[in-house]
Amino acid sequence: MGCASSIAARDSRQLGFPNSENDGGHDAKNLRVKLVLLGDSGVGKSCIVLRFVRGQFDPTSKVTVGASFLSQTIALQDSTTVKFEIWDTAGQERYAALAPLYYRGAAVAVVVYDITSPDSFSKAQYWVKELQKHGSPDIVMALVGNKADLNEKREVAVQDGIDYAEKNSMFFIETSAKTADNINELFEDFVDYATSRLPPDILAA
Amino acid sequence: MASSSDLDGNPPPPPPFHFSDDERGSSSATTDIVHTIPHSLTSSWIPRKRNLDEDDASISWRKRKKHFFILSHSGKPIYSRYGDEFKLAGFSATLQAIVSFVENGGDSVKLVRAGKHQVVFLVKGPIYLVCISCTEEPYDSLRGQLELIYGQMLVILTKSINRYFEKNPKFDMTPLLGGTDIVFSSLIHSFSWNPGTFIHAYTCLPLAYATRQVAGAVLQDVADSDVLFATLMCRHMVISLVGAQKTSLHPDDMLLLSNFVMSSESFRQVDLARFYLSDITHKWTSESFSPVCLPRYNPSAFLYAYIHYFDADTYLILLTTSSDVFYHLKDCRIRVEMVLLKSNVLSEVQRSLLDGGMHVDDLPPTPCSGSSHLIHNSLPSDSPERFKEPDLGIAGPAGLWHFIYCSIYLDQYVSSEFSSSINTPQQRKRLYRAYQKLFVSMHDKGVGPHKTQFRRDENFVLLCWVTQDFELYAAFDPLADKALAINTCNRICQWVKDVENEIFLLGGSPLSW
Repeated sequence: MGCASSIAARDSRQLGFPNSENDGGHDAKNLRVKLVLLGDSGVGKSCIVLRFVRGQFDPTSKVTVGASFLSQTIALQDSTTVKFEIWDTAGQERYAALAPLYYRGAAVAVVVYDITSPDSFSKAQYWVKELQKHGSPDIVMALVGNKADLNEKREVAVQDGIDYAEKNSMFFIETSAKTADNINELFEDFVDYATSRLPPDILAA
Repeated sequence: MASSSDLDGNPPPPPPFHFSDDERGSSSATTDIVHTIPHSLTSSWIPRKRNLDEDDASISWRKRKKHFFILSHSGKPIYSRYGDEFKLAGFSATLQAIVSFVENGGDSVKLVRAGKHQVVFLVKGPIYLVCISCTEEPYDSLRGQLELIYGQMLVILTKSINRYFEKNPKFDMTPLLGGTDIVFSSLIHSFSWNPGTFIHAYTCLPLAYATRQVAGAVLQDVADSDVLFATLMCRHMVISLVGAQKTSLHPDDMLLLSNFVMSSESFRQVDLARFYLSDITHKWTSESFSPVCLPRYNPSAFLYAYIHYFDADTYLILLTTSSDVFYHLKDCRIRVEMVLLKSNVLSEVQRSLLDGGMHVDDLPPTPCSGSSHLIHNSLPSDSPERFKEPDLGIAGPAGLWHFIYCSIYLDQYVSSEFSSSINTPQQRKRLYRAYQKLFVSMHDKGVGPHKTQFRRDENFVLLCWVTQDFELYAAFDPLADKALAINTCNRICQWVKDVENEIFLLGGSPLSW
């Protein structure tokens, strides 16, 4: 149980906290963002993460088992560095009961659906409700309509996404992991959005 | 350690040699239709989609030589090796009807023979497993394979699935197994290349003793109250394994766990720059945390597995009972990785993969000293020139093609590389099937257990020797001389003993059950 204290510290649901390894001299903030991706299986959660972290797209994408943990550090324009610690969860039904394991400590959640699949949009709404009920009370959520490149097969209207996101105070964006469209924007803009909504005391650099 | 001294100090008495009646040319040995598979049977097998357009009305489906089905007690299909489960609902209901017809008579169905086909049933509560095969594998082998398939299902879902069926007998289980086809097809594929599936032991990657010690020490170092088992694996082979608190891991659990990990592509996201530049500070890593059940350890509960690939072949599994120790396990992995990189363990592992294991051509010429022997000098031989090695062309000494040696103490086996005489996947598959048959006949509770067996057919000579300490299965050229083959088996045993600290994980093995 020697790890209990370190876990408590990491579970403190902070979007950002001071990073002792500062890059010296610069007036830079270093944020650490714990992010969880949720959504139906096959909507492209892993593809979004891999596009963001590796800049790659794998059309033969593999089913995620359990959850994968990835991290990526980016520099924002105001020279803030943000280290994302990302839980990419499996969308499969058998893992639904285990989701709290991954979203419990998350400060931000990205709920993904596939714009060609109304079912996945309903599933996204299920996850939003689940997070509202059982997630951290401060959690900031984004709603993401992925596979925007398949516009000709679209079955979920952009406006439906926007409306649902607005009603639930969520950030909204449509992305394409395939073409990389809006992927970096998702992470950069969402961090901006999230920082503005979190209590200022935990943003001290 | 204990095992090595026991083997050296107390050689088993030379067992009397029994010859089975099967020492004859077989005329039915070529039932396998030979069709070319373009890649080797083991590592380079590329999982493909099952033929989803097939159903029980398709000729191609009916021609398949080995089917596996999982269905529920209400007849709902859960898994089929070939074809679309949904389209096989009628067929599945028929299988269910057979089971319940026999059950209604107060009995249970195990095997139905229909011409060249065997239909093997295994009932596990509300789950029925069925194999339909015309491969002439023995019933016990096929049943063992069904047991493993059931075990693989438990790895993914645990036995708690039974509760769903108590609530709703018509429960549809297929969504719960979504995306796991590949796990089952990879397991089924391993029935024809992985001896662990019928020997029920595991195998180690050959490594210098010191190298394995380094790996074992760092695993021991991280195995604390939160880590139940720490395993470092290379493909299906163990590099080292440590269990906390005297817990032990059953070889079948090892097999099912490594199959689950290896066949689930999402675990295997390797940053090559990170690997080749040995730069562990490289900016991204991929690691996974997934619930898994070890059926022999506890079929009813999930453990949590932290899984990390160091390179395309080598991976670490840390098993824990606590769902909230991911970050601790991540730290453990970093400690393990630093040691492995500093001590060049990972590059040694890659070199071992390239070199392969025991090559039959390298069998030392004569048995060294007085350890156990397979033969009395008075035993009959089918050749007068019994000690002169005939020239059998491209094969190991005395026409040796391959062997598997299993240490009973250690629950570990070593399987040699194949001689160049067995170079097609079909030949290897045929040999494994022959080994399986041999294994079953040696362990037949009705007429056995046997101690030795010598078989000759048009494909090979097979020699099996079972003692309290080990089991040896060896395959030779079909023209091999019997006395020489026996002599060669003695040499193999000596050889294995000579190199045991490189091919086995020795000392305080947590793997005994």
